[in-house]
Amino acid sequence: MSDKPDLDRYPELAERWNRRNFIKSAVAGTALLGFGGALMRLAADDLTRAARAENRADGRPRLPPGQRVLEFLRPMGGEEGDGKSETFRLRVHGACKKPFEVDYENLLKLPQVEKMADVHCVTGWSMIGGMWKGVQLKKLAELAEMTDEARFVILEAAHGFTANIPMKEAMADNAMVTYRINGKPFSIDHGAPVRGLVPDLYFWKSSKWITGVKFVKNDAPGFWETRGYNNHADPWKEERYG
Amino acid sequence: MVELKKRWRAWLRAIHRDFGYLAIGFTLIYAISGIAQNHIEDWGDVSFKATERTIAMAAIPATTPEIVAVKSVADAVGMGMPTAHTRAGDEIRLDYANGSKATAILDPSGTTVTVQQHARRPFIGLANWLHTARHKKAWKYIADTYAVLLLYLALSGIFMIKGKLGLKWRGTILISTGIAVPVLYIALAGGPDSQKEAVAQTTTDEIHSVPVGIGPPSAKKPETPTPTLTPTPTQEPDVKGPGSAVLVPLPPDDDQ
Repeated sequence: MSDKPDLDRYPELAERWNRRNFIKSAVAGTALLGFGGALMRLAADDLTRAARAENRADGRPRLPPGQRVLEFLRPMGGEEGDGKSETFRLRVHGACKKPFEVDYENLLKLPQVEKMADVHCVTGWSMIGGMWKGVQLKKLAELAEMTDEARFVILEAAHGFTANIPMKEAMADNAMVTYRINGKPFSIDHGAPVRGLVPDLYFWKSSKWITGVKFVKNDAPGFWETRGYNNHADPWKEERYG
Repeated sequence: MVELKKRWRAWLRAIHRDFGYLAIGFTLIYAISGIAQNHIEDWGDVSFKATERTIAMAAIPATTPEIVAVKSVADAVGMGMPTAHTRAGDEIRLDYANGSKATAILDPSGTTVTVQQHARRPFIGLANWLHTARHKKAWKYIADTYAVLLLYLALSGIFMIKGKLGLKWRGTILISTGIAVPVLYIALAGGPDSQKEAVAQTTTDEIHSVPVGIGPPSAKKPETPTPTLTPTPTQEPDVKGPGSAVLVPLPPDDDQ
């Protein structure tokens, strides 16, 4: 026997009855969506578990705390540059004796490196084992004859975006300006044609649509750092917010 | 006096109604893009639809004239001749007027072309663009106006109805509930500062738990079979560039 009241006989109950049915449907729909999402998470967790079981050469866990592994870079937005290699110019300037500008063609004539690096997004995902190709920041510093007074590197990007990098992380072997990952060019949403890569800091420091590398004496917090995100951004210390 | 009170409430309702109509378009934009921004870690940036395909073609010898090489790649891509192209290092990049890009990576064993297309999604792409007022001078003030409308809608709503359905009973309970939710969340979560302290404590514990002098990656065997991961980053040999680059000298910065 149905528990539905006789709405023709008691029309004043109709509104409450309809509301109850709406709430039931909404709860069921939300539960279904949640279940689907949970299944997707469980499938992806194998990679995360595997990464957690490893340690880096420096003794730190391969996967920083609070991160889960994705198979691909996830587009996270931002104001895009024009993405064209034809118009690309990289200014290397600031505290250096020989500031210079280089176009795309000549950037690829500089000594190139291909390095494996894991990257960690502040929103909680990591992509591990990517093979990144480009020119090391320390090579650019050498070519520009960076002076001893420089303490930070500012990665400049389209529309005035900046990210500040302490010298230690900027001069690491795996820090570079990069134009290829796993043998493929970056799509526009991932910073084409050239982006920064500073894998030992949260990924927002690896500016997309890069336009300049500036060596500075005094720290100059960048776009996200002045909007509540951590100035240093070490993933192993979960330095997410300021 | 009674008439004045009645008229006052009627005006409040009439303005609330009209502001409500004005707010509908803005609310759709901000609410839907707000959900998209809230879930950016789950869904990524949904403003654009990106597609990518890879084409394998015969090797293009390094001695091939540039225009011939560009035409070969364009033929393989099947989108006609590009509006611009760049030949740099081991690659040829083609740019098309619709924003599509094709990058051919030349290798003696064969050429791989990656074709990337990227298009803004009609509603959510624009809503996400509008959501942040950055670099939009007029929109900043329009967005401020919408915020003022919302404030009016919220505050006038308190006084629109009198009696049991108003502040005397239902209104008070619902307003208190609405205020209690964020207050309770802050109280239970401990606010942003305590979250930072908890994170710092956890991280310190984790770092201290790593054995000193631990071996190379994968030295610690997982207890159960796990998927194969790419090896942990190590120092790779440098790959030298093909020639000497032209660096255009710049004047020193003003602040140096």
